[in-house]
Amino acid sequence: MKKFLVMSGSALALAIAPALALAQVPAGYPASYADTVAGAKKEGKVVVYSTTDTASANPLINDFKQLYPGIAVEYNDMNSTEVYNRFISEKAAGGASADAVWSSAMDLQIKLANEGGAMEYASPEVPQLPQWAVWKNQAYGTTYEPLAIVYNKRLLTGDEIPQSHADMMRVFKEKSDKLRGKVTTYDIEKSGVGFMLITQDSKFMPNFWDFVKVLGAVQPRVQSSAGTMMERISSGENLLGFNIFNSYAQLRAKKDPSIGIVLPKDYALVMSRVMFISKTAKNPNAAKLWLDYILSKRAQSIIANQAELGSIRNDVQGDMTAAAYQKQLGAALKPIPLSTDLLVFLEPAKRLDFIKQWQAAMKAGK
Amino acid sequence: MAGRDEGREVNGVRGSPLRVAVIALTALAVLLPLGLIFYQSALNAPFFVRPRVPGVEAFEFIFTDSDFWDSLKNSLIIAAAMALIAVPLGGILAFLVVRTDLPGRGWIEPLLLIPVFVSPMVLAFGYVVAAGPVGFYSVAVKNLIGLVPWNVYSLTGIAIIAGLTHVPHVYLYSSSALKSLGSDVEEAARMAGSSPFQVAKDVSLPMVMPSLLFSGVLVFFLGFELFGLPLVLGDPEGYLVLATYLFKLTNKLGTPSYHLMAAVAVCIVAVTFPLVMLQRYLLRNAAKYVTVKGKAGRQRPLPLGNWRWIAAAILFLWLFLTVFVPLSGIALRAFVSNWGEGVNLFEVFTLDHFKEVFNQPTLVRGIWNTVLVGVVGGGLAVVCYAAIALATHRRPDGWSRFIDYLVLVPRAVPGLLAGLAFLWVFLFFPPLSPLRSTIFSVWLAYTVVWVAYGTRLVSASLLQVGSELEEAGRSAGATRARVSRDVTLPLIRYGLLASWLLVFMIFEREYSTGVYLLGPGTEVIGSLLVSLWGTGGADMVAALSLINVVLVALGLAVALRFGVNLHD
Amino acid sequence: MTDKTSPNPTKLAVEGLHLSYGDNAILKGVSMALRQGEVVSLLGPSGSGKTTLLRAVAGLEAPRQGSIRIEDKPVFDGAQGLEVPAERRNLGLVFQSYALWPHRTVFDNVAYGLRLRKVSAAEIKSRVDTALSNLGLGHLGARFPHQLSGGQQQRVAIARALVYNPPVILMDEPLSNLDAKLREEARAWLRELILTMRLSALVVTHDQSEAMAMSDRILLLNNGVIEQEGTPEAMYGHPRTLFAAEFMGSNNRIDGKFTQVRGDSAQVAGDGWNLWGSLRSEGKAPGADATAMIRLERVQLAAGPGENRVQLPLVTSMYLGDKWEHLFHHGTLRLRAYGREPLPVGSHWLQLPQQDLWIF
Repeated sequence: MKKFLVMSGSALALAIAPALALAQVPAGYPASYADTVAGAKKEGKVVVYSTTDTASANPLINDFKQLYPGIAVEYNDMNSTEVYNRFISEKAAGGASADAVWSSAMDLQIKLANEGGAMEYASPEVPQLPQWAVWKNQAYGTTYEPLAIVYNKRLLTGDEIPQSHADMMRVFKEKSDKLRGKVTTYDIEKSGVGFMLITQDSKFMPNFWDFVKVLGAVQPRVQSSAGTMMERISSGENLLGFNIFNSYAQLRAKKDPSIGIVLPKDYALVMSRVMFISKTAKNPNAAKLWLDYILSKRAQSIIANQAELGSIRNDVQGDMTAAAYQKQLGAALKPIPLSTDLLVFLEPAKRLDFIKQWQAAMKAGK
Repeated sequence: MAGRDEGREVNGVRGSPLRVAVIALTALAVLLPLGLIFYQSALNAPFFVRPRVPGVEAFEFIFTDSDFWDSLKNSLIIAAAMALIAVPLGGILAFLVVRTDLPGRGWIEPLLLIPVFVSPMVLAFGYVVAAGPVGFYSVAVKNLIGLVPWNVYSLTGIAIIAGLTHVPHVYLYSSSALKSLGSDVEEAARMAGSSPFQVAKDVSLPMVMPSLLFSGVLVFFLGFELFGLPLVLGDPEGYLVLATYLFKLTNKLGTPSYHLMAAVAVCIVAVTFPLVMLQRYLLRNAAKYVTVKGKAGRQRPLPLGNWRWIAAAILFLWLFLTVFVPLSGIALRAFVSNWGEGVNLFEVFTLDHFKEVFNQPTLVRGIWNTVLVGVVGGGLAVVCYAAIALATHRRPDGWSRFIDYLVLVPRAVPGLLAGLAFLWVFLFFPPLSPLRSTIFSVWLAYTVVWVAYGTRLVSASLLQVGSELEEAGRSAGATRARVSRDVTLPLIRYGLLASWLLVFMIFEREYSTGVYLLGPGTEVIGSLLVSLWGTGGADMVAALSLINVVLVALGLAVALRFGVNLHD
Repeated sequence: MTDKTSPNPTKLAVEGLHLSYGDNAILKGVSMALRQGEVVSLLGPSGSGKTTLLRAVAGLEAPRQGSIRIEDKPVFDGAQGLEVPAERRNLGLVFQSYALWPHRTVFDNVAYGLRLRKVSAAEIKSRVDTALSNLGLGHLGARFPHQLSGGQQQRVAIARALVYNPPVILMDEPLSNLDAKLREEARAWLRELILTMRLSALVVTHDQSEAMAMSDRILLLNNGVIEQEGTPEAMYGHPRTLFAAEFMGSNNRIDGKFTQVRGDSAQVAGDGWNLWGSLRSEGKAPGADATAMIRLERVQLAAGPGENRVQLPLVTSMYLGDKWEHLFHHGTLRLRAYGREPLPVGSHWLQLPQQDLWIF
């Protein structure tokens, strides 16, 4: 009798075990995912190199830990150049490096993936993502972040506040006395993100080079990052800036009454932070869990409402979601697609050429 | 058992294996990173990209880049302006403080030296928030007279600020020379009938001319290496200098162009290394006019008469512009939530920035690392410097000369590049790799970059030990090593402590060397400031800057309390 | 009261000078006068204030109280708050270290004072050349100080101090930097120079034999006050205090107690000896402590016992070239004496003449 009970007890346990394991597998995922989870648990940690600062990422990290206890997240936040440099040089040295790389430098991410740095992995969440956000199942866009025009509320009023790119041209021309020396934009030689955004503008703006001339005429002050731009706008040293991440601006505006934000109505670029799994990842399974988690509805709600970056999924509720933005701006939203088009301007000759053109146009305006 | 035989040669180097080891390690630590830089500049792509193609494309690129020539021109202009501003001012201030009855001269000296020990990032940032277009003082002045009559972002503004902040360097050398000038030569001039100013012109000035010349070359050289100041102040109107041009190359092509950066570094070293050699030559020459012979007579200060108050005004004006303005800017910015035109300061006081700083593990780690690298790291560095100094102490042979020139090399390389070179060393030499993401990498880079300064500090202490004391030990039967251990080191222990303190302050102030080494685990306040400045976290920058200033002030206070000689 | 019309006008007059460094009183009321053509030495041990007094006269130190007049013109008056700065006192000062300007030639060193006085270039040349040749430096005008010997440097320093004809020349330890052998020659040469050029000189020295050789008058300073002032003979032969007596010459010192006092004579006694001497201080009674002093050259070797004689064993004899110095010691008596001949070992009788044995 005892023997039977033990045997059936263990048989029962054996039967339940996969079900228990299955309970870990998120809804809608294939059963084989359990192997991935098991593998990840054995690995015990995932190393992430990211440009999203730790403060914003903390809610995600904590939630991930709750979901998969036993898997530590080694989160390293640095700027986009460092992410690229470290990844490249560590790979070349053959040493330990990131398992998952998450950066807002879309062009650099695609370059790394294109050069064979990314693992090909079809995330179960792919059907929930817009097409432009998935590149060859190797790199994924994870957020939905429009670029905004930011201005100083204390010092700019009424029709001095541009509502679109075309409007910016008008404001620069009409209010040139007030705005001379007070408009700020990226130094495209220093900021990779700034450079990329401007090249995207050159695609979407109908008379881009005229815009640049008009911009040049008001003698803008260039900065190397969005943060410095906002600092200068907040203090009133500068009055206006564009191509600033809406997420940063909203965060700042909460504490700072001087910051005003406008999403341009003629077209608004939307960028997305790109994540991929390293082909030579030491913890590939944990990395897969992390990637899938970030793309899942659960994490995307946090991204929208707690991390306040902007969710890319349509089935998430909140103000900072793709759905909400689409209701606000509709077809004006122009997401930057993940494609090898982004690599064009990483080629030194073309890049320098564009920079030269830009500088010439800025000077011509003066 | 008898001590080691002095006459035995080890691999041709006279002396113990210990001396050989010290020399070899030093040579390795200095030449390896430099070698990597030169090697990299001769490749057409970052050196870890295979296949490695040697070529001159890197130099071709920078020589055809108008930005390079612009930055070279700007560097020359700023360096020259710095020398022209700092040398006369520094010399005059030194004369006023050391030789005359200037009011307040008793407690002025530590204040004069503050800019030496405060990080240039901090100073530059201070100028932006205090005297920038919407700085605290600018807004106040604008309210009074309707406009702001200065522009800290202009080339002139940058040059003037750079000049003013380098006055203490000239002051240090001139005041030291003036102090070692026997008062009798000046009294002789007075007896012959010259007024205090004629004395200064006819006697004091010519006799400290070698020191002034040396300081001039030093300041010019420092002008070439300027990084923090032009980084913060040069950006808005696009003025580049060599070091910021190099930094810009990090992103200009989208992907890091190490070969270009190495090429720029080689160009910088081509200018700075001869300058370093020139400095060394001038320093030796400056000892020519030291005349303390006979009775060290009581130096009666030259009475300034009616000029007292004008002289005091000059002094206080410099102090105000160079120390008070930026530091008050920082202090204020650290405690307000926003600032600028139209903001009422009294409404925005807050401690939030500091709370934020302590909430961010990266920043807290950075502060802790900075203290660690300064206190523990500084101590270890002094041990290394003492080993090197002892290896050359009272041994004027070829190896000592080799070490003398060797330690000058890191001085010629800008800190920015030195840090990068060390990153490469750690990355690509497997035995060292695990140390890369620890603070050890930063400590090693700092120690090598400052080897000339630190070794000179310890050497100065060693020279104070009369050679008879050591000779007495040797005639009693002790080997050189034993004498160093039993006689020399105990006698210079206060000198070593003082050196530790000075190295601590230098390490606290450091910022450029850690920039490329910055990563989780290797954060220090200096490189965090550069990084935070780049991403616009000015709140953090202000709070961190204030913390940095406090750390340095603590060091300075301890130094003054124990009467440490701040001159080197 | 001016002395200008008398044949020997007063060049320098110091009255009641007090000087302190902070709380430290260095000069505690010093008065002196220097007349035309006189060489006066300020003599004393270190810390006595002699250099300070010299520098105060020069204007390089600021006294607290008192007055200093040069050729009857006040340059310092504490009561009136008058202090003429050093550069307007028109004095010549020769520093102990010579203080030549290393970046100037010998000619320029000497010419500097004349240039400041706006003398014409031609006249400068002639006066400097004269000064240099007077001091035997005629051919060295174009050299730099570091190319000269110590003696030559000293002469340049003197030429520099004299070229503009100051009323008084001040000298701080002029001979102490020279080798012992050169010193004797140099002091003769210096005195001759001063006399020939009819200078008035105030010299600081710590060497009493040098002071006596060179000066017309000696001021002995002790602890900020003038202990005694007089001609070298007076200072040597008639010291008024024990300090003054001991500072000059080479002396034997004998400690004992007064046993009898008779007018200006007194008897001192010690362990097994008693001697009569001439009393130099007041208010002494039998039983009090006494210090007796006799110059080495006054101790005479005697053949046998007698008045004011003691018998002592010879410890050693030292040959000095022109004479022998004998050392005698027994108990508390330790005497040195000169003699022409070496002495045999053993006890000898020594005569201490009463008028030469000074008792304080």
